[in-house]
Amino acid sequence: MNWLRALAATGPVPVYAAVGPGMTDEVRRLALDPVVELVATPRHASVLLVAGAVPPSADAALRRVHAQLPWPCATLWYRSRPFPELDYPQVIEAPEMLAGALQELHRAVLRGPRGREPVLLPDVPPAPFEGRGDYGQGGEGMMGGTPYGRPMAMTTDDLRDGLALDKLELSLGPFFRGLPSGLVLGLSLQGDVVQRCSVEAPPYPEPPAPPFLQALERPMPIAALELARARHHLGRLAEALDLAGLGAPGRRLLRSAGGLAPGRRLRWLGPLVLGSGLLGCVGTGHGRLTRDQAVGAGGPAARAAGQAMDARTEDPGYRQLGFEPVVQRGGDTRARWRQWLDEIDQSLRLAARAVDTDAHTASSGAVEGPCGRLTRDGNPPDLCPVLESILPGCEWGEALAVIASLPLAGTMMPFPAVTA
Amino acid sequence: MSDVLLPTLAVLGTLLAGAALVAVLDQAAAGVIAGGPFRGRLSAPLARAALLWLRPDATTEHPDALLWRLAPAAYLALAALGLAVVPWSAEFVPVRLPTGVVLWGAVEALATVVIFLQGWAPNAPLPLLGAYRHAAAGLSYILVSMFVLIAAALPAESLAFDAVVASQEDLWNVVRQPLGLPLFLVVGLGIGVWGPLRFADAADLAGGTTAETSGPRRLAWALARGAMLVAFSAVAASAFLGGWLGPWLPGPVWLLLKMLLLLALLVLLGRLLARIAPGRFVGLAWLVLLPLSFADLLWAGVLALYGGTP
Amino acid sequence: MGRGAGVVRGDSVSWIDLAFYLLAGIAVYSGWRVFRTDSMVRASFLLLLSFIAVGAVMLLLGAVYLGVAMFFMMAVEMMVMALFMVMFMMNPAGLNPMNMVHQPRLAGAAGIIAFVALAGVGLVADFPERPPAAGGDVVRILGTELLGDSMLVFESAGVALLATMIGVVVLSARSGRFGPSDDGSRPPGLVPGGPPAGDPGSDASGGGHAHHHHH
Repeated sequence: MNWLRALAATGPVPVYAAVGPGMTDEVRRLALDPVVELVATPRHASVLLVAGAVPPSADAALRRVHAQLPWPCATLWYRSRPFPELDYPQVIEAPEMLAGALQELHRAVLRGPRGREPVLLPDVPPAPFEGRGDYGQGGEGMMGGTPYGRPMAMTTDDLRDGLALDKLELSLGPFFRGLPSGLVLGLSLQGDVVQRCSVEAPPYPEPPAPPFLQALERPMPIAALELARARHHLGRLAEALDLAGLGAPGRRLLRSAGGLAPGRRLRWLGPLVLGSGLLGCVGTGHGRLTRDQAVGAGGPAARAAGQAMDARTEDPGYRQLGFEPVVQRGGDTRARWRQWLDEIDQSLRLAARAVDTDAHTASSGAVEGPCGRLTRDGNPPDLCPVLESILPGCEWGEALAVIASLPLAGTMMPFPAVTA
Repeated sequence: MSDVLLPTLAVLGTLLAGAALVAVLDQAAAGVIAGGPFRGRLSAPLARAALLWLRPDATTEHPDALLWRLAPAAYLALAALGLAVVPWSAEFVPVRLPTGVVLWGAVEALATVVIFLQGWAPNAPLPLLGAYRHAAAGLSYILVSMFVLIAAALPAESLAFDAVVASQEDLWNVVRQPLGLPLFLVVGLGIGVWGPLRFADAADLAGGTTAETSGPRRLAWALARGAMLVAFSAVAASAFLGGWLGPWLPGPVWLLLKMLLLLALLVLLGRLLARIAPGRFVGLAWLVLLPLSFADLLWAGVLALYGGTP
Repeated sequence: MGRGAGVVRGDSVSWIDLAFYLLAGIAVYSGWRVFRTDSMVRASFLLLLSFIAVGAVMLLLGAVYLGVAMFFMMAVEMMVMALFMVMFMMNPAGLNPMNMVHQPRLAGAAGIIAFVALAGVGLVADFPERPPAAGGDVVRILGTELLGDSMLVFESAGVALLATMIGVVVLSARSGRFGPSDDGSRPPGLVPGGPPAGDPGSDASGGGHAHHHHH
């Protein structure tokens, strides 16, 4: 079956990316490479890409993800420390070698035993069997109990009308594709409606792009700042489109984010995003932040709730360009999406004007980052408690869209820990 | 024997070739929309299929193994059943059934069951959620499809597809009953688990019912979905676009051309429209689409009573 | 799908006979398995299989509309039943061994008596010899019957079913009778601010205690 193997090797490499701190942008850029296909679940992948230094608390989770790839498989460690028990781990540091290394590993997996990794976790149940009932099963009588440590499905009252329905408890791990990397969410579902949600681990911090951090120290050209802002918003919108099943338009957004220049306007963006019915993915009012939560969040989330908070209004450089903050009414997920679209448009217009006049930021005390106000010694707002109050009652897809639209705590980072 | 062998080959061959064509069209549409380099993209579906054939079948803890193996096969069998009652020309129908329209309704209903089984079988939370969502939508669009097909069958005064096609000799149903084809396309997106109605295999569920499948089983499921889209396009072409009717070219060629048009339309809709929230779709189906299908049926009835040849 | 060929009497056994025996066997076997399986979802779909076999037998009998309509309706019904199994039952996957039959001796006796009675009727009774005209359009005959002589029966049944469906939707709608059902809608009291009318002294917890299935 060599010809079959050769044919399979010509196709894109199915890669599951376990994203560590600070690596989201690089992994997103990898999605644009036609050689690589970032898949949604480890079962579809033949290569696991571990990007970034995964903290020890997520080590067990990473082993579980590794165990879920159907054996034979291989792992590529990109700027990351491999598991100690692997004999010949593939570690690379340079981004331009990434796609090539993934393809090599994929071919090695297809070819033969030398390319394959050992299975790390034992294939046994996590807990011993606790047989108690008449028929030797795990619970009281014929229902409930925890055979092999797995709680059997029981019914509880539904949030909406008290009907006793089945309840599904699950924990979405730090490397789930639909969530920000590092976020561990414990969910209690009935059907596909979230009844209860708890954040078991916060998402990994994502530092703002270098232009914003440099702007805290010295005057920066406004065009560079605004283009970086537009790039960030395009990346977030591409994520939202990907969650809604529109992978191809999402990649188009990412591609245009990579090629932004001060003159371009992206007039096709609004019709593409709005015409695709992305707003129909979420009902009106889902993910609505209260006024206090919005003010606490800052940035586009606050402006989408009607609070015109923007550090750019304090900057004479921006005032000269005639900057006015854009706000939406509503404060729900749809408003936040519209806010991103409007801010991309506004940023591109500002960049075009700024490059004509060569405008620079004047003050350096506070900078309006892509997710909110950045200061040298301020703390980023923590939005994880907000999740626990706005997610219950949301349907699954809506809940993930709400999470993708919020700048969770990890997306800003205190200044001193980042090297510009 | 040839009156069993030839129809079987025709149906199975169309389904398999059509499923491959759907994959290629999908890849091409994705490539055009995403932009960027187009190196060797059109062979990617074939390479992916080869890769899936070689990868192992992943298994979960305590799955319902029989149903897991049965689901893709049953889905493909349903597609074959649906395609079998579609006429290819005035003489050739693989299975000549007087109630072909009702059989297609049964195929749609059983397709919902099969998709639920595909989500139920792995004994894992994400596939089960995909199955739940699809069941809610499936029970909603099935009524729309039935009313629209009955409206198409009214001018023919028969439930057999060859009579429905024959009744469109002077005017196609897409012109006579303008609401019919758009509503039926919504149904097609649903049973093919495609595009805006892709609840079962959703991207936000990490692949939904395929989240725990890999290898040949996943290939079989993808093939079955493509085959169902092909069968749907054949039924839609027969019910609304006049089936095998057309000048100059032989009947089967016209049918294939119309199927190709509908498949291209479905693929494009799948790549351009975002997945709608299941709750919103259920509301939309019962409050908007179902009354529209009533209106379509009423219009067809009025035409049948007072219109037509004097 | 029988193309009008009847059952061949005499020594030879036609493929229709074979198909009938096979389908009847499937129907009886899967019907029995409904009660012996531990998984409630499998029970629903085994019942579906039994009904599909019966529908196929109807197709063999030439009842083309009724057979296919049987597939259609039973698929949707068993789908809903399977969903309800998962929603309301403990252990819907049968991962714990279960015994879900109630009063097995009484039910078994009733089943055997019913089987013997119906089989006796089928074997002993003198059915009329009125074969339908060969080549008759079954669907047309059925339609004429439904909207001709039997119109009253079918239309009143249809309207009754519609009323039932509307009633179910109204009962389970989110906007309850006395307020949103999310808040546990309760009728207002006879005295302003008093206990809910028609509710003699139940506890204040909303929703009431659900009956959980215990063995």
